[in-house]
Amino acid sequence: MMNTWALSALWVGLALAATLLAIWFKVSTALSEIVVGTVAQLVIGVFLAKEGLAGNTQWITFLAGTGAIVLTFLAGAELDPAIFKTKWREATVIGLAGFFGPFLGCTAIAHYVLHWAIMPSWLCGVALSTTSVAVVYAVMLELGFNVTEYGKAILAACFINDLGTVIALGLIFSPFTIKTVIFVVVSVVVFVVLPFLTPRFFKKYGGRVSELEAKYLLFFLFAMGGLALWAGSEPVLPAYMIGMVLAGTVGKDHSLIRRLRTLTFGLLTPFYFIRAGSFVSVSALWAAPVTLLVLFGAKSLFKAVAVYPAVRVHKYDGKAGAYYTLMMSTGLTFGTISALFGLNHQIITPAQYSYIVGAVIASAVIPTLIANSFFLPHHLLPHHRAGKKAEKEVMRPVPAEEG
Amino acid sequence: MGSPVFVGIQRILVAFDASPHAEHALDVALAMAGDMKAKLFVIAVIRPPEPAESAEFHAVLEDGQERFEKCFIPLRERARQKDVELETDIVLGHPAEQIIHKADVIQASLIVMGKRSHTILHRWMLGSNSERVLRYAHCPVMIVH
Repeated sequence: MMNTWALSALWVGLALAATLLAIWFKVSTALSEIVVGTVAQLVIGVFLAKEGLAGNTQWITFLAGTGAIVLTFLAGAELDPAIFKTKWREATVIGLAGFFGPFLGCTAIAHYVLHWAIMPSWLCGVALSTTSVAVVYAVMLELGFNVTEYGKAILAACFINDLGTVIALGLIFSPFTIKTVIFVVVSVVVFVVLPFLTPRFFKKYGGRVSELEAKYLLFFLFAMGGLALWAGSEPVLPAYMIGMVLAGTVGKDHSLIRRLRTLTFGLLTPFYFIRAGSFVSVSALWAAPVTLLVLFGAKSLFKAVAVYPAVRVHKYDGKAGAYYTLMMSTGLTFGTISALFGLNHQIITPAQYSYIVGAVIASAVIPTLIANSFFLPHHLLPHHRAGKKAEKEVMRPVPAEEG
Repeated sequence: MGSPVFVGIQRILVAFDASPHAEHALDVALAMAGDMKAKLFVIAVIRPPEPAESAEFHAVLEDGQERFEKCFIPLRERARQKDVELETDIVLGHPAEQIIHKADVIQASLIVMGKRSHTILHRWMLGSNSERVLRYAHCPVMIVH
């Protein structure tokens, strides 16, 4: 067993290597860290030390867990409340379709096709129900649809989709007891009070070198995370909700968000994603690659079945609709958080964890690869651009003086 | 510069990524625009990490905007000194796609790009932006070495 500082150097060294790979191959750091974690665990476990990266060491578990909590908080804080207020109806319909389709579909496939027990099947459904707000937002920014009414509805729908995932994760696997009632009541009080208290507190005491804001936020994230865990739930549930309720205040403080990002990316998330990757069993994936393909296929299929009709209802043309559906099938962070929750609580086996994380990674990478390989050349052609411009004109909101 | 090939060049688009190659391409394009009284458009493309992850994506976006805005400040001054009309734009997406899209929108007469010396592996994995622009652009493309 390595001493603490040697182990720290190993993990941070791996994080550094993962960041370099992410820069060279233009992939997200999260993806790179998961893959590096898997490969490092395999290599070190076989050739150097039996315990490999020692991912279950207490301080690594703490840093990784904090990474998941802060990352989830930041994801929730990116919600634009103004968009949600105007588009909540469409967002709710599309978001719930995007959640329930793959959630129920993948659960059924895991249970009836792969013959998994019922609880691992539910966990599988939750992990594969996620979407990525960032991927959809990136595509919309690229095509200029983020300012359209439809684009705003889709973005808000992604938040609803992920909210469904964290609520399912937080409630399905926790026993319903008096602790659950206490957790829900305290949560509601905190979610109502925080948006009023936080800006006033920051205005009076914030903006100092002592980083009061970060301590304040971490206090509430840890306290609510502790309460969630006590009630048998999952700490990322209150973290996401706190992010959402503070999106209109803390979320707009760019300076604070940037400082939190430095803390998150510089120290916390490398531990989270490398640890998540280190638990993936390459031998399990090698032994039954079809399982991974079935899960990935199920996620893509049920996302398409649920989301595509919602997209069509909004009179969006087939190709662009397919593109959005493809992009909404991604989702790395919440997928791995759900799978790791299942592994930590022994709901799923290490092999099942490997298949789920493999499917999550495949669902994050393959749609992007397909989109770039088969869609991009068409986007590059001038005639396609002309079509797209016309499409934009149709979707452009009409200013008052024109209307 | 007085070659008949360059007659009628009124809008020059420069693809800028803050690399030394792009800086060199920008120098050439600025000189050409000054000589030919052409309008100069500079586009900087922020490429999101794939797959984009929430917090990282927003960080990349903000960082890119700040970095390119900083680069554009001295450029605007240089353009003013040379009496060149300049328009800058920072967009998000795949570089080749966005460069061609911008060239379409502004009806560029010429696209000027720097040549980056990628390894064979890099080109195979990610493709070369200049190759893609050369293949799909509707107007002449100048690659500055």
